[in-house]
Parts: sequence; structure tokens; C-alpha cells
Amino acid sequence: MTFDAIGIASTGMTVHRKWLDAISDNLANINTATPTNGPAFQARYVEVEENAGTQGVSVRGAVFGDPEGRLVYEPSNPVADADGYVRYPDIDLGSQMTSLILAQRGYEASAAVVDRARETYTAALQIGQR
Amino acid sequence: MLGSESVTIAALTSALDGLAARQRAIADNIANINTPNYHAERVLFEDALAQSVKEGSGEVTPAIRRSLEPTREDGNNVNLDTETLSNVDTVLRYQFAARAVDAPFANVRAAMGMA
Repeated sequence: MTFDAIGIASTGMTVHRKWLDAISDNLANINTATPTNGPAFQARYVEVEENAGTQGVSVRGAVFGDPEGRLVYEPSNPVADADGYVRYPDIDLGSQMTSLILAQRGYEASAAVVDRARETYTAALQIGQR
Repeated sequence: MLGSESVTIAALTSALDGLAARQRAIADNIANINTPNYHAERVLFEDALAQSVKEGSGEVTPAIRRSLEPTREDGNNVNLDTETLSNVDTVLRYQFAARAVDAPFANVRAAMGMA
């Protein structure tokens, strides 16, 4: 189709929004302590792929972080085991924040494309009207 | 006579098609700005169009090539500055071509006594 730049930009916005969702979920759970007999909270990383033939981008799936997490000695925690340990997710705050900025900027870039595509369509609609 | 204008109209139509294809490619590149191993798409049609006009046809099909520029660490070589500039440029060129394609039609309309 000739006029699907808005559709392509919307795939970019969707992918970056899903990435933002995953990052906010990871950050919200960064201090989630779990008992040592189960897995730690696993950070979610979206996996994306290019759609074939100028059709934008889509989420292929998700990759999850290490279920081992890191063991922290916290005997006062109600979910601590007999030795006083709990599991915390192994999430790096720095890399999550960096990804947050990338995802936000990527979203904004695709949103700007929508505006410019609209200018093009407006020009096309005016052909033959002058 | 529209006949004498046909190369003009064909060339302008080809230009509009090429620019629309470039607009799509830019949208695709920006949508894939964070996709690992993605290589930016480039739409080429200007040189072929100039050649085609010289030969009296004015019709071209835009060609899509992948950029061979050096990539970032994640294997992606989309440059947001370049794409944004190219996007603005493409929009303005499209508006220019759309305005230009009006002229032959306006002449026809004048000849028909409609305007």
C-alpha cells in the first residue's frame, strides 16, 4: 500500500510501549523478596524482530531473567528460610533505567513520524483541488 | 494538450510514488530503531527518474536498498538524526511534487471551461 506510513509508525509505538511496560514491571519488582524454595522474580526482556518487507516491527516474544536471583541474608523478613535468607531478583537498576530512556525516545520518534505522514497525506488529498 | 504533458505527469507520479516509498522506509527505519541487527532501508529513484525523463518515458519503480553504514554495538545502523532530516525533506518534496502535479490538471480544467 502506498499510504501505510502511519501503520508502520504505529508498530514502532506498540513495540516501544510493550518494552516500557516490561521495564516498569521489572522496576516495580526490583525489591520483591521471595522465599528461597521458589524462584526469584524474573525480569522480562522483550524480543523484537523486523517485519518482512517494509512492514514495521513486532514483538517476537519475551526472555526472562535468572530465576536464581541473588540470596540476601535478611532474617527479619517473614519469608526468610531457616538460615535467614530470601531471594531478590537479579535486576540491574542502571541498565533498566538506560533501557527506559531508549524505549521512551523510540516511542517519541515513531510518534513524530505519524505527524509527518499526516502532512504528506494532506498534500496528496489536495491534488486537483487548486 | 494533455498528450504533451504526459511525460511531466508520468515523471511527477513516479516522484510521488518514490517519495511515498521513502516515507514508508523512514517510518520502518524509525520503528526499528532499537531492533538488533536491523539495517536501515534506503529508497533510490531520483537518478533513474532523471534518466527515464531523458529517454522520454518518466516512469520508474523505486528501488529499496539496505544501508551498509557501520552499525552500533547491537548490529543496528539506523541514525535518528539522518532519518528525521530525511523525513522532513521527503514531506516537503512530496508537497512540492503534489503542487506541481496540479498544474497540468488545472490547464485541462481551464480548457474544459470549468475554472
